[in-house]
Amino acid sequence: MNRVRAWCLAPTAGVLATLFLIPLAILLGYALLTRGAYGGAFPPWTFENWQRLADPLYLGILGRSVAVALVSTAICLVLGFPLALFIARAGRRKHLYLYLVILPFWTSFLVRTYAWMFLLRDTGLINEALLALGLIEEPLPLLYNYGAVILGLVYGYLPFMVLPLYATLERLDPALLEAAADLGARPWQTLRRVVAPLSMPGIRAGSLLVFIPCLGAYLTPDLLGGGKTILVGTLIQNQFTNARDWPFGAALSLGVMAVVMALLMGLIRRQDEGVL
Amino acid sequence: MKRRTFFLGIAGAAGCTPRGPRLNVFNWSNYIASDTIARFEAETGARVRYAVYESNEEMLARVISGNSGWDVVFPTNYFIEPMRAMGLLARLNLDLLPNRLDLFDEFQAPEWDPRLEWSMPYMWGCSGILYHERVAPAPRRWADMWDDRFRGRLTMLDDPAEVLGAALLKLGLSLNETSEAGLRRAQAEAIRQKPLVRAYLNAEVRDQMVAGDILACQLWATTAQQAMDEAPELRFAFPEEGFPLYADCAVVLKESDRAELAHRFIDYLMRPEVGAAIVRESRTATCNLAALRVLGEVLPPTLHLDQPVLARGQWFAAMPSVAQRLRDRLWTEIKSA
Amino acid sequence: MRLLPWYAAAVFVFLHLPLLVLAVFSFNESRFTVWEGWSLRWYRAAFGDAQLIEATWNSLLIGAAATALATAAGTLCAYGLWKRASRWISTSLSLSLVTPEIVMGIALLAFFQWVFRYLGVRLGMHTVILAHLMFCLAYVVIVVLARLRTMDRTLEEAAQDLGATEWQAFWRVTLPALVPGIGAAALLAFTISFDDYVITSLVAGVDSETLPMVLYAMARRGANPVVNAISTLIVFGLGLLIVAAERMRET
Repeated sequence: MNRVRAWCLAPTAGVLATLFLIPLAILLGYALLTRGAYGGAFPPWTFENWQRLADPLYLGILGRSVAVALVSTAICLVLGFPLALFIARAGRRKHLYLYLVILPFWTSFLVRTYAWMFLLRDTGLINEALLALGLIEEPLPLLYNYGAVILGLVYGYLPFMVLPLYATLERLDPALLEAAADLGARPWQTLRRVVAPLSMPGIRAGSLLVFIPCLGAYLTPDLLGGGKTILVGTLIQNQFTNARDWPFGAALSLGVMAVVMALLMGLIRRQDEGVL
Repeated sequence: MKRRTFFLGIAGAAGCTPRGPRLNVFNWSNYIASDTIARFEAETGARVRYAVYESNEEMLARVISGNSGWDVVFPTNYFIEPMRAMGLLARLNLDLLPNRLDLFDEFQAPEWDPRLEWSMPYMWGCSGILYHERVAPAPRRWADMWDDRFRGRLTMLDDPAEVLGAALLKLGLSLNETSEAGLRRAQAEAIRQKPLVRAYLNAEVRDQMVAGDILACQLWATTAQQAMDEAPELRFAFPEEGFPLYADCAVVLKESDRAELAHRFIDYLMRPEVGAAIVRESRTATCNLAALRVLGEVLPPTLHLDQPVLARGQWFAAMPSVAQRLRDRLWTEIKSA
Repeated sequence: MRLLPWYAAAVFVFLHLPLLVLAVFSFNESRFTVWEGWSLRWYRAAFGDAQLIEATWNSLLIGAAATALATAAGTLCAYGLWKRASRWISTSLSLSLVTPEIVMGIALLAFFQWVFRYLGVRLGMHTVILAHLMFCLAYVVIVVLARLRTMDRTLEEAAQDLGATEWQAFWRVTLPALVPGIGAAALLAFTISFDDYVITSLVAGVDSETLPMVLYAMARRGANPVVNAISTLIVFGLGLLIVAAERMRET
């Protein structure tokens, strides 16, 4: 029992140790160093980078990022759950539908974002169509706002929600649903009382897979948000490029990870079993 | 076993390059002519691996490790000192670069590298205002970019140095201001302007200008010229308060073990007829006077400035650590406002 | 419940319409977003671009290698965790998930720099594959584990009671039931690997430029229809492959 388990865990343990924990330790070292005149990280050792994290400016940015990521995750769940349910029940065609979910995501993330810029611009298809139909007189400012950013995030990460949901819903015994119906449950009741609780592992996995990249996203806010707002991903990116402040960037990233870890722990403690 | 076979396969695929020395060049997009590389390869027998980037940050992220494999890159003038301080640059051997004497006088001893020890100026540029001709009166000054008539139809570059720079010049301060009081005033201006700004965009704004979504934008002259070539109704203004100047320069990376070939490539790019062919095809602003003479045609004013206009320009300088940190914070505050 | 197919159809439209528009505009004569008539010039440009072709090849190779490695290691790991939880592996995997891409990229770069100093390793394909293996791993474990959690533990025990070894029980009972989960995990891993820009751009060397890196550089220059063309080709090519695979499965 234990030998098989040990062999199963060994490859992952090795990868995690060499390619994740050691690099992270190096980063932790950076976060305790002083910024060089033109970048890099040098002695003396200091806690200054961590103190800067408490600045209301940076806390505000973090709060805004969490809000955007939460809204995007919620929308993904609302869009993704019925879709996953539909695919799981589609019988012979379900693989085809599954591939249809994945297919758009084999083009670059950037291209998908550009596709939306194409549609949402002042002279984009949506505005042109509305103008031609006489529904509006001036182009609507669809691009470069939070709505566009959230739309882009939902579009970008929806399959991360659908795939784990599908994986659990597909295992759901149809007999359970029939039983619920036989006992007089209406479809909505069945969904809420039977399907949703049983698919909780998938919902949790999917929400996590969407929430985290949304929180750290920086291409979408920049491209669809028009750079008019700053979210935490952009802030971190800036430290390593424009600002050339590696130690603060490292502290900032580790700070974000700490916050998300805290959320994660809360989620795991409340449920009897964790996502992992 | 499977894993090992796979890695061997990859190693084989990567190793099947022909003989002959190989040079790896990483440059800005649209900075050479279509036959520039082929001619160099034919002449020297070397193979050139040529790839392009779109921002200094992108390039720096790739070469910062010191084991990236690139030989020649083209940082902008204010990135040269930071890269040198990080130990990324090799000292140039001027004996191998005789064509440097063909550079404009301004670039024989530029302020960022007076003896050309580390870098060879390649292309230069500036930023100003690109606007639609139906805008009346036409913008002439940075201050016009604070005008309410542009509300929602105006973009600024997504770059702290450029946005703060425009605000500083509007206030009559230096482009490279480092004092906190001056930078705070510029920040207040930028925040006041933000409600009018549709977005902070770089090169992406070009086709929105051509399509007419945006009426006026802060943009680099060479990118502006590309838009003007597509849409004749666009105009470019060099703001009266002054405007930023920059130069992209060729450098040899310290990690390069083909430094001599790298020098040969840089000198080749500075040959008058090679430079002329590049300018003819890419429509950029070369630092090479002899190349312009060979070209023999009159370039549009966005690519070749008259002396009185040029005199208003200010070169971007590398920022000291404290000022850089302050500027980044002010920029973050502008974005959060 | 009767509305479900309509709802699903609407979501599919949402997923595919933007790319369809992009595909149509890849046949546009103009380089800008103004319609000027049908043309194949951007496809000719895409096929004439050696850098683009090579980058696509690199991306497929890296995606395949990273997916194979991550799926194998991740599935085993999920199985091990399902048998009995391991706190430090779970925590490390969660941690790798909550690491912003840029942070993981910088951390890996710092690590490869350090390795380079002592072992003389340059950045290249191998560093990119290792990085992708790293960030795909947690996704595989999550998806496979979610699938395992819906399975009945007693099945394996029953198999062992009937005389199967632990290994046989895994191979004959658990693994076949896991296949859809593993498939979904592999798809997810490949998708993430094929799409990654941030980490790849940091750990890539001269010969390991991937498609997203080339597309990023192109798209930053403004709307470039060559980008539309190559995206259309990828979606169309992979789509055909999938339809063919489905046909084979059905017969």
